[in-house]
Amino acid sequence: MGLTRFDVRNRIVCFWDMSKKKIVEFSRYPVAFIALFVQIFLIITMFLYASLAFTADPTAGPNDQSRQIGATVVYGFVVGLFLSFTLWEMGFSLREEQTRGTLESLYLSPASKIGSLLARVFAILVWVGTLSVFAVLFVGAVLGGLPVANAGLATVVLAFSVSGFLGIAFVFAGVTIKLKETAQFLVSFLQFFFMIFSAQFFPFRALPQPLVDYVSRWLPVSYCVDLFRSLMTGAIPELIPDVAVEFGIVVAFGIVSPVVGYAIYKRFERGARTAGSLGEY
Amino acid sequence: MAAVAARGGFGLGRPGWRARGDVVRTVFLARIRIISRYKGAIFMEALLPIVFAAMPVLLGTAFAGPNAAQNFQLNTGTANYKLYMLLGAATFTVVSLMLWLIGYWVRREQETGTLESLYLAPASRFWILTGVTSYAFVRAFSAFLIAIALGSVIFQVNPFENGVGVALLFLALGLLPLWGLAFMFGAFIMKIKEADSVIQVLQWVLAFLIGVFYPLSLLPPFMQTIAGLFPPTVMTDGIRAAILNIGYFYGTGGPYASLAVLFAMALVVPLLGYEVFEVTERRLRRKEGVGQY
Repeated sequence: MGLTRFDVRNRIVCFWDMSKKKIVEFSRYPVAFIALFVQIFLIITMFLYASLAFTADPTAGPNDQSRQIGATVVYGFVVGLFLSFTLWEMGFSLREEQTRGTLESLYLSPASKIGSLLARVFAILVWVGTLSVFAVLFVGAVLGGLPVANAGLATVVLAFSVSGFLGIAFVFAGVTIKLKETAQFLVSFLQFFFMIFSAQFFPFRALPQPLVDYVSRWLPVSYCVDLFRSLMTGAIPELIPDVAVEFGIVVAFGIVSPVVGYAIYKRFERGARTAGSLGEY
Repeated sequence: MAAVAARGGFGLGRPGWRARGDVVRTVFLARIRIISRYKGAIFMEALLPIVFAAMPVLLGTAFAGPNAAQNFQLNTGTANYKLYMLLGAATFTVVSLMLWLIGYWVRREQETGTLESLYLAPASRFWILTGVTSYAFVRAFSAFLIAIALGSVIFQVNPFENGVGVALLFLALGLLPLWGLAFMFGAFIMKIKEADSVIQVLQWVLAFLIGVFYPLSLLPPFMQTIAGLFPPTVMTDGIRAAILNIGYFYGTGGPYASLAVLFAMALVVPLLGYEVFEVTERRLRRKEGVGQY
């Protein structure tokens, strides 16, 4: 029995064991890790080259403008990376369990369900964090330095942002149970939606004003990108030119989103269990 | 009677042209039937190039401001940066989908345990692969057309101003070496297995080499040489140069040199690709078998 009455220690041990399972899985595919590493550098390099095509003299060495472009791309990209991996990994991993036929058995175990969901993204988020540091160092090395104005507060913002992203990921994990394969396309769509409307690779001023006013400003993810980027570059946030207000929004997002997201997930899960379709794929 | 049957087989053993055609058609229809269940995938494939094209456009215009078109013209030969990006991204989608779909097909068959069964069937792998690649081609080309049509409306550009015929010629010729590359890619996936990560990283390597968002002249000289040997680069460059009326990667006197290079690639790469596929397949069958994943 024991297992059925989880205390904090049990929960932590269980979470660690579930995370370890993912780490072991990842370690069997080292190529995937290297590929991810290479992929990130390629994406950044491509965007840097793309921006070169718009400069008057692409042969000129790094200057303030190129550093500003680099900072915009890489800091937005870091937030985008966390969002993408949180969204993808949770739903994808659930889908894998569904197709392998192990999801239903997992629900028979007394292990914490929220722990099981979080463990699916824990390892990859740690890896993304490492990659992000390397990505910033890489762009900094190419462009002869990047602005790092308020890294401490920016890290706090990133932590709350990731917590908020987990809420969205919970919702999509639930949607995956319900919609199965189609949910993956939905995640893809959402990923690109945020890429554009939360201005992950460019400043918000590049978007047409109506889009900023009627779409971007209503997305909490936009404030995560804006605040993290402006704190790192030392610039004034674009959406609301007040760090304290944007910080409040990001903190609220980080607290409310996982709670609401998990409640929605539980609703989907309950529905599937009642209908007996949890393991259907 | 038994001796005749033993010598000639039971009909299936030596399929004629009609049976081969049937194999291609059946595989093609099976794939189409499967994808028709996932309409979201088709929509996403068409949307992807538009999103890809939008990002560098927004980034470039944000920093270059009113000089964006002028600067872009200095570097590429055209001020129409929106169409430049859209064409690059749409062609990249074709290349990426062709490779992705073949790679995934191999991997999926491996995982579901049906790849080995295919080897027991009396149908030649060549015709099965032809069916799969035909499906990949139709899917990729549909995504290309939808992306160009939808992207033209969103970006308010006209892709029919110049050289549509030459551009289509580049596309048609470019698909042949792409077919060969798809075979090589399938062989590679069969060998190393980890399809997801390899496809993802290769996708960006391709985008980098093709010059989806920038002219190849911005790359260092040695990278330009490598990129120029890669058939999708010549195809993308040709399509873009024809429609935007800008210089071609090979030669200065119009599309002829680039077309000749692509034609040579169209002759060599498919044969080479299929040979690589066969050799890999033979080696795997001798060792652990093709079904192991």
